[in-house]
Amino acid sequence: MVDTDLIDRKATGQAAGDLRHTREPDDRDVLVDIQDLCTYFYTPEGVVHALGGVDLRIGRGRTLGLVGESGCGKTVLALTILRLIPEPPGKIVRGKVLFEGTDLLSLDQTGIREIRGNKISMIFQEPMTSLNPVFTIGFQIEEVLMLHQSHRAPTRKQARELAAELLDMVGIPYPGRRIDDYPHQLSGGMCQRVMIAMALACRPSLMIADEPTTALDVTTQAQILALMGELKEELNTSILLVTHDLGVVAQSCEDVAVMYTGNVVEHAGVEDIFSRPLHPYTRGLMRSIPTVEARRRGEQLHAIPGNVPTLRDMPKGCTFHNRCDEVMDICRRERPPMFRPHPDHCVRCWRYANG
Amino acid sequence: MKPILEIRELKKAFPITSGVFRKSAGVVTAVDGVDLDIRPNETLGLVGESGCGKTTLSKMILALEEPDSGSIRFEDVDVVRARRSSLSQVRRGIQVVFQDPFGSLNPRRKIGSIIEEPMIIHREGSKAQRAKRVRELLEMVGLHEDILPRYPHEFSGGQRQRICIARALAVNPRLLICDEPVSALDVSIQAQVINLLVDLQKELKLSYLFISHNLSVVGYISHRVAVMYKGRIVELADASALFENPLHPYTGCLMDAVPEARPKKGLNLRSPRRGGVEQVSTDLSSGCAYRAWCPRAEGICAQETPVLEEKGDRHYAACHLAS
Repeated sequence: MVDTDLIDRKATGQAAGDLRHTREPDDRDVLVDIQDLCTYFYTPEGVVHALGGVDLRIGRGRTLGLVGESGCGKTVLALTILRLIPEPPGKIVRGKVLFEGTDLLSLDQTGIREIRGNKISMIFQEPMTSLNPVFTIGFQIEEVLMLHQSHRAPTRKQARELAAELLDMVGIPYPGRRIDDYPHQLSGGMCQRVMIAMALACRPSLMIADEPTTALDVTTQAQILALMGELKEELNTSILLVTHDLGVVAQSCEDVAVMYTGNVVEHAGVEDIFSRPLHPYTRGLMRSIPTVEARRRGEQLHAIPGNVPTLRDMPKGCTFHNRCDEVMDICRRERPPMFRPHPDHCVRCWRYANG
Repeated sequence: MKPILEIRELKKAFPITSGVFRKSAGVVTAVDGVDLDIRPNETLGLVGESGCGKTTLSKMILALEEPDSGSIRFEDVDVVRARRSSLSQVRRGIQVVFQDPFGSLNPRRKIGSIIEEPMIIHREGSKAQRAKRVRELLEMVGLHEDILPRYPHEFSGGQRQRICIARALAVNPRLLICDEPVSALDVSIQAQVINLLVDLQKELKLSYLFISHNLSVVGYISHRVAVMYKGRIVELADASALFENPLHPYTGCLMDAVPEARPKKGLNLRSPRRGGVEQVSTDLSSGCAYRAWCPRAEGICAQETPVLEEKGDRHYAACHLAS
């Protein structure tokens, strides 16, 4: 445990240094800059390294897709940004989350509350369970507006008008009538629209969407994704879209970060990731998507062998080495830092140690 | 070749009740006149959105739900009117793999006894023969026999789905109903399970009814695909024909909505703000159920309910306008 931790720290230290060197010149308009973020969970069975030194940047007005399989730490990352990790058992061990220049991790409770909902909002996977079943959707949107005084909507009447406007904005028909509906009267897609209306109520600069369309049908999913894209343009909001669906990423994101076992293993623009995936894990994911054409050609689906290691029982060195078909000696011993083989393309794999 | 499963004009409606006295307030027609054949050694894919009747249809095939009318024949046995003894024969011939591998394995029983149970129920073999068969099954699905004394919680989703498949194969079924078998799995694991199902089909000459909402998975694994909408089959064709040339507007809409893993291909969306709204005030009890959303709807669509007709070479569609 101890020595992997040391290597880990060494590797991530290197990575952070490495990144910062090349970072300055192309520093675009960055909204969120996450540096060496570590979140651990202290359980009776041992320490779980849910995030092991994540470096990530989200540009202003851009959509970053965060992809990875279940248990890779996507949701923990989203919750860490908003400081919603339950402590104990969780603990943000080190790192920085720079949001518009301020480190969110250094804020006190009042400070972070000012950010939540106002500057950064979140929508969750299950629209039906995220809404309170005993209040009307109008009441729940009004509540958001009244709690976050930055919007200055002091009277209930004004809040109600604003709520109706928001419902109209997210494409709910007859908002004046729908505002008095209870969540059970709406379909899943409609509930997710309401959640988006709530998330956008205070015009946040960042919206974190954790698997917003996973529980929805494809046709509804397409509508919700298009809606999020449109609103992003209108309000110049950045979106962190957490998903496991590469198709969703390809269609709705500008930047992509691939996560595996608590680390970002590849980070690049969407075109680059799909046309030139570098990490063997990313390549494996791309090749395991079934298509009709592949079957007609009689191809077997490419499957990544083995299982995702549990965070409690992580392999030494590169955490992907025991499933990787391009494994080298060094992969078994040392955890790779983030390399930057192309100006806007980072990858955490020893194959790219020499550029 | 003679089909292994024949479904004719199958209907099932559920009553909606309301109030303290459970007064009837109308019905929901879950399956509304379905005709389907599954041939030996064939995979028939069944796609549709949630609530279109996919699961109700599969429950009726398994004789877990009684249809209101219509017939289901499995290898010359009438499933609907079967008595106990022949029903047990049907159930031996048709097995099922469910979506959620976490909910479908008894957490208090060991893997060995889970896989053995179907054989005990159907009174197959001696204890020693069953134990031998369990080991064979494990090997077939790519698991090691060391896992026999372990419990389901020790396994990942993909491994559990393999265990579910082994259990389903225990009594040598001819037809396997796979109800969203890979939806709960991660992409890299999903591919493993799909490959396993394809291999098992070749080896054991199985037929599959593969139910999913994921069009790319269905397109990959199926020989023929049926598209279901509001309780009816609206299109049925060979997988490649269906994907190359969808005839029913609903099929086209479904395919356009699938986000492809190729950037900037552009999703073809119904206007996200106004169109595609789920509530429509038109009375849809007669005519084509899709007409309110259909971009090509004409007068005839409101008057006559379209039936499934052959529009091309073994390509069936239920649409007045398709040709």
